[in-house]
Amino acid sequence: MHRVRLPVGATTLVEIGHGVEPAEVLATSRPPGGGTSLQVASRLRRSAAEAVDLLSVRPGTVLEAGERLAEDGDGREVLAPYACLFLGYDADDGTALIAPLGATEPILGHVRGEVTSVGAEAIEIRVTGALVAGVGGSGSAVHGELRMAVHEPGEELRAGAIDVGATGRIMVGGSRASAETLTRARAMGVAGIVLGGVLDKELRDFEATQVRRREVGGVRGDFAIVMISGFGKVGLDAALFAWFQSHEGRLASLFGAAARIYVYDADPPPARRALARVGDRVIAHRRPFAGLGGELVRVLDLPHATPAGVTARSGLVSFEDGRSAIVPLANLEAMEPRDGG
Amino acid sequence: MTEISTELALLVDVGSAWAKAGVIGRVRGRWRLVAHAAQPTAWGPAELRRSLIRQLNAAGDPRLADRYDELLASANRIECHTARQPGRLAVVAVSRELSGSTARRAAEAAGWQVTELVTLDDGRSLAERLATLQAADVDAWLVAGGFDDARSPRALEAAALVASARMPDGGPVIWAGSAQLTNEVMLLFEGGAASAVANARPDARREEPGPLRDRLQAILRQSVAPEDEAHLSTIAFTHAVGAIAADGGLRVLAVDLGARGGVRVVAEADGTTSTTVHSSGGMAGATLMAGAAGRVARLAGDAGDEAAVADVLQTLRARPASLPQTPEELSATQAAARMLIGAMVEDPATDPVDLVIGAGLTISGAPHPAQAARMLLDGVRPLGITQLAVDSGSVLGPLGSLGDDEIGEGMTLLADDLLLPLGTAVVCRGGEPGDAAMRVTVHRSGWPTPSPVEVRVGQLLVAPLGRGQEAELLIEPAAGVSLGAPRRSSRIEARATGGAVGLILDARGVPITLPRRGDDRRAVLAGWRDALMRETERIA
Repeated sequence: MHRVRLPVGATTLVEIGHGVEPAEVLATSRPPGGGTSLQVASRLRRSAAEAVDLLSVRPGTVLEAGERLAEDGDGREVLAPYACLFLGYDADDGTALIAPLGATEPILGHVRGEVTSVGAEAIEIRVTGALVAGVGGSGSAVHGELRMAVHEPGEELRAGAIDVGATGRIMVGGSRASAETLTRARAMGVAGIVLGGVLDKELRDFEATQVRRREVGGVRGDFAIVMISGFGKVGLDAALFAWFQSHEGRLASLFGAAARIYVYDADPPPARRALARVGDRVIAHRRPFAGLGGELVRVLDLPHATPAGVTARSGLVSFEDGRSAIVPLANLEAMEPRDGG
Repeated sequence: MTEISTELALLVDVGSAWAKAGVIGRVRGRWRLVAHAAQPTAWGPAELRRSLIRQLNAAGDPRLADRYDELLASANRIECHTARQPGRLAVVAVSRELSGSTARRAAEAAGWQVTELVTLDDGRSLAERLATLQAADVDAWLVAGGFDDARSPRALEAAALVASARMPDGGPVIWAGSAQLTNEVMLLFEGGAASAVANARPDARREEPGPLRDRLQAILRQSVAPEDEAHLSTIAFTHAVGAIAADGGLRVLAVDLGARGGVRVVAEADGTTSTTVHSSGGMAGATLMAGAAGRVARLAGDAGDEAAVADVLQTLRARPASLPQTPEELSATQAAARMLIGAMVEDPATDPVDLVIGAGLTISGAPHPAQAARMLLDGVRPLGITQLAVDSGSVLGPLGSLGDDEIGEGMTLLADDLLLPLGTAVVCRGGEPGDAAMRVTVHRSGWPTPSPVEVRVGQLLVAPLGRGQEAELLIEPAAGVSLGAPRRSSRIEARATGGAVGLILDARGVPITLPRRGDDRRAVLAGWRDALMRETERIA
């Protein structure tokens, strides 16, 4: 279930049962601009304290131009000079704080599915896509076609892989992308990026540049990043990478801050399980094997100490890069076979 | 053949990321912790039981080997658990640095998770602020701003912002701003929705978050976590610490550093307690602290550069049920723990205590007791003479869920396994670098009195004093050096009890100051680490 929160005063355009597409407008709203003061008490010829009882509206009310904001019952009234949001009343100086409403803006759901509820607060949609959950992300909700940007799950996404063909797409990278690569992707109009991992410092550097550019008005359009495996140079799991490859060109929705991806018309992605058993395909989550896949060959009878000295229930993993190592089971996730076999 | 009978009790602490369980049973007439397991909570209770049974089969009475499953199923189960859902709060304030930071800290110390912080100086437009707040999915709203001696229009604007963004019946609103604006603010909301509390920042120089914290705690209990309180980890842990304090006539500070949240309890000798719950104060919250990666890299010395540490801290957030595998990751994790404990103890500041207890897997599950001691010592900086211990069996939470009439009995039964004593720390501050800070004579009954040990400013020494041993200390602080309490004489006599680490003589100051140059800092940090480890290994 996906929940699209609606701002106060939004106008909904869909009904329960309606099938929606990611680019479809679900509602419209008129975002308020900077607040301004409007004399209320003096127009009603009352004291500032008395006028509070003559208000016709509560904070959060959307008023159209000419709509009544306050009246004294003797024919005097204060009308909204333009469409605005009533924010509050200052009983000290007798003014109302109002924010003029800007041009109508669309509210997109960014998902494909069926509307299950419509309220003043939110619209809920049952999503019909395959969900992949990440461990972190950044940015807003976007959608676009999936496009593979690397050939191997452990390959780093380079700036050179971002070309004009990537505009409006969701790029699937590998183990890492530098702040420069992310900046170029955004500049080229890429909708979003899916990565195995990213260095936290580079992600923060990228976010800092975006904040500065937004402050000077240099950033337009939405952009999102989702990390699937972890932080640092961490590759995508090979099975999940292959799943993304097999769905290249499909429509997908990316929710950066929520670290979620929906891919439409897709098979279920490889599922994960917390407790791995002998014979399972596993993926490791901590250094020095973070992001590496392999097979859990044996679970040790007794707890085993990691090189750090932490004693834990552990298993022998034969990794896909040829290495074998004893890894705490807490640092492994089992990958469930897709067909259940 | 005579059937062997036994009595077992199961202590279970189910955390947000880790579940811990212990089995206590009667061994040669005494109740002991006979099995203990910790595992990711996601593995489920059946796996936890299998882990315990494996241990019991390996170490328990072989005649019971086939019966442990049945015995555990019928054992008395004493359980506590983390609150299922943290309370989510939006904070709207006038300034980020003053009212915003005060309100945020008070909210987090009351156990709330601050999901949105909007301030009128955050660089966003009104529309962006409104959009942010309208999109906020929260259980309550906190508005703060303005000093008590003035009517700040900006504070009223902050309240109006909430009134505009919040849907009717959209959760309680707490006004903790200028007292002069209270009436106006109350009128912005539907009847009964808003309540006022004393301004947490009554003027620019004063911060009084206590009443706000108390109100927020009360609202959290009423509206968000109406669970069986006795079994909530925060309540149960506090109860157990209070019982330990009352039992020993000690003033106790206990910190439970969890995967997501942290709890700090101060218990007086009469058993009364004060608790602060830091919803984001656990290991996952390290990455949220300002400049965390740089600070942790500096504090650790051997965890890698700032970028590498930043990734470790994010991993602690993203995968709280995983374990450090490399020495660098462990070092970063423990340095982060020291930083988090420091933040918990600072707010509010703690007066000297007799006993410091560390709980939570990062502390109590540290590979080496010296590492646990260092997390407590560096995090708390307990000035004076203080015993250190850890809740190594994770039993305090479950035991604390027992009623007042049962907890004493439970503690008595578990006497030897209740806490793992680490030893006694003597911490001083003051003095000039390189000069002598204090001379300590350690006298143990039946042993010849040795020469005094001289501890220099900036030095950390460990003297052998094993578990169960006691010693009389004669401490002679140098001029300008303090152990906290006012001095009537140039000599202080005290009693020290031993533990897994020993007697720690710590003249590194409060707070610890580190050399600015990287190489010097790393050398000093390695020296302290080695001093703690060396003696502990000798005792072991």
